[in-house]
Amino acid sequence: MKKKGINFYLHIYFKILAQDIKSKMSYRADFIISTIGMIFTNIAGFVSFWILFRNFPSINGWSYYEMMFLYGFSLISITPVQCLFDNNWNLRMYVYSGDFIKYCFRPINLFFYYQSEIFDIKGLGQLAFGLATMVYAWTKIGLACTPLIILKTIIFLITASLIMIAVMNAAAATCFWITNSFFVMDLALKFRDYAKYPITIFSPVFRFIFTFIIPVAFIAYYPSLVILRPDNIPVLSWISPAFGCLFFWLSYKLWMHGATKYSGTGS
Amino acid sequence: MQNLIEIKEVSKEFKILNRREGLIGSVKDLFSRNYKIVKAVDNISISIAPGEIVGYLGPNGAGKSTTIKMMTGVLEPTSGEILVNGNVPYKNRSKNAQEIGVVFGQRSQLWWSLPLIESFRLLKDIYQIDDSEYENVIKLYKSLVDIEPLLHKPVRQMSLGQRTLSDILAAFLHNPKIVFLDEPTIGLDVSMKNKIRILIQALNHEKNTTVILTTHDMGDVDALCKRIVIIDKGKMLYDNDIEHLKGFFGSYRTLKLRLGENETQQTDVNLENALAKHFTEYEAISVSSDDEWTSILINEEKIKLMDVMKAVQDNYFIRDMKLEEISTEEVIRKIYEEGV
Repeated sequence: MKKKGINFYLHIYFKILAQDIKSKMSYRADFIISTIGMIFTNIAGFVSFWILFRNFPSINGWSYYEMMFLYGFSLISITPVQCLFDNNWNLRMYVYSGDFIKYCFRPINLFFYYQSEIFDIKGLGQLAFGLATMVYAWTKIGLACTPLIILKTIIFLITASLIMIAVMNAAAATCFWITNSFFVMDLALKFRDYAKYPITIFSPVFRFIFTFIIPVAFIAYYPSLVILRPDNIPVLSWISPAFGCLFFWLSYKLWMHGATKYSGTGS
Repeated sequence: MQNLIEIKEVSKEFKILNRREGLIGSVKDLFSRNYKIVKAVDNISISIAPGEIVGYLGPNGAGKSTTIKMMTGVLEPTSGEILVNGNVPYKNRSKNAQEIGVVFGQRSQLWWSLPLIESFRLLKDIYQIDDSEYENVIKLYKSLVDIEPLLHKPVRQMSLGQRTLSDILAAFLHNPKIVFLDEPTIGLDVSMKNKIRILIQALNHEKNTTVILTTHDMGDVDALCKRIVIIDKGKMLYDNDIEHLKGFFGSYRTLKLRLGENETQQTDVNLENALAKHFTEYEAISVSSDDEWTSILINEEKIKLMDVMKAVQDNYFIRDMKLEEISTEEVIRKIYEEGV
């Protein structure tokens, strides 16, 4: 058996991806309707955000455009989890019905094989919307556009994505123990909404929870401080990439531990 | 010959919570530590040589799936040792996966929305199959079944039969040493069953692949397996040639008769009484009847069939008759019920 490195996995992933997109395009009505749905969801989200800021020009020292930056940042950082890890939502069904066992017989990484099955193309609309919002806010705030700051932005976007993925992986993995993880995942998704706001607006108790227990503050707040408030960056911001990798690794281990423990149903 | 699968004194236990009834019981269960140990597989030893087709039989819940899951590396045995092609399956799941193919009759492992040929190409990459080897396999498939109409059809649009066929082809694609088929003919019509049996036979013959087949369909067993292993309640009941098994019960034959023009409900009772008077070793005969036929099961070591025939003919008018060998199905049922 040949060694299976990153190239092998990338090759397989893009092959599955290409096939998946091809087959999705064949359902034209479904594709168009879900794209329109995605656009409206984003517009509705933005409108509520806009109405809020019509009434409060700044929140706790954060200006309208800074908040908009945060909003765009969080939209971009949830794109990977939406596009690449969407199969987590189906996990509980596969586990409950026993169909999960079909993923156990391939000579490749189980987590990879499972997640590679679905690519949610709708996430790309969100990405475009997030990018537009962030670039608009960027120019309005008058941020510089040096290679360093762009590099920082990219690194911290990846960090934020990793944390988002970790939260959803861990939430989905609970189904290996409790069978129905929908409520846990739904809860995690609700908490994700708080990622859009600067953590300083919450009470200290929630600040602690959102930093260490359910690390949603890492999704947008701590990383974007590096770009927005370069003079006064807390340590937590600088170490957030390490946190991102750590949380992702932990959630992966948890997921795999659950999957190995899984014994299936009778047939 | 070196054995391909070696199972030594393997047991698998599950810890199951003793559940109480009703809502209050369920609430109590939340805090309960009252577990019982269930032995799904109890001290089983099997060795399988390369190229064999082994029928793995047993009633529902006998422990078949558990054994298969242990051989494929999904479950770890509680005690004992399993070697599949020299690997310990649960310790090296991916290496083991390279050497085996698995088909579950009702759960397709192919990509649901992709045409079969694309699934094959993905599997080719996943299993790192050489181009030439891949071409050969596809050529072989084309010679065995008419796959052209299937190749460009998405799996979700296939009928159950076509899907099972595709799953079997996919399982053999990477030239595995062993293929596990779990109820491959479940839910299929007679002609599709037959097609699938012929295909399995041919693939086993062409590639000398070892096949482990679990099924409830005795047709599969009769068509494919020389050797069968029977388990029930986790314990092994039988492991030998199918012919040998029939030999156990081979001295039995069933004489089926249609009697009289105005037969009554009591025919079988009357007949049994009449035969009991006629033969001293009447326990060697048992009579039963359904709407159409009166069946007389005869142990030919004790009583000659022709004698029974003659005795019946003296007393009754026989409209029609036929003779049946005992079927594998009946033999297995006898084993389930009575043991060997």
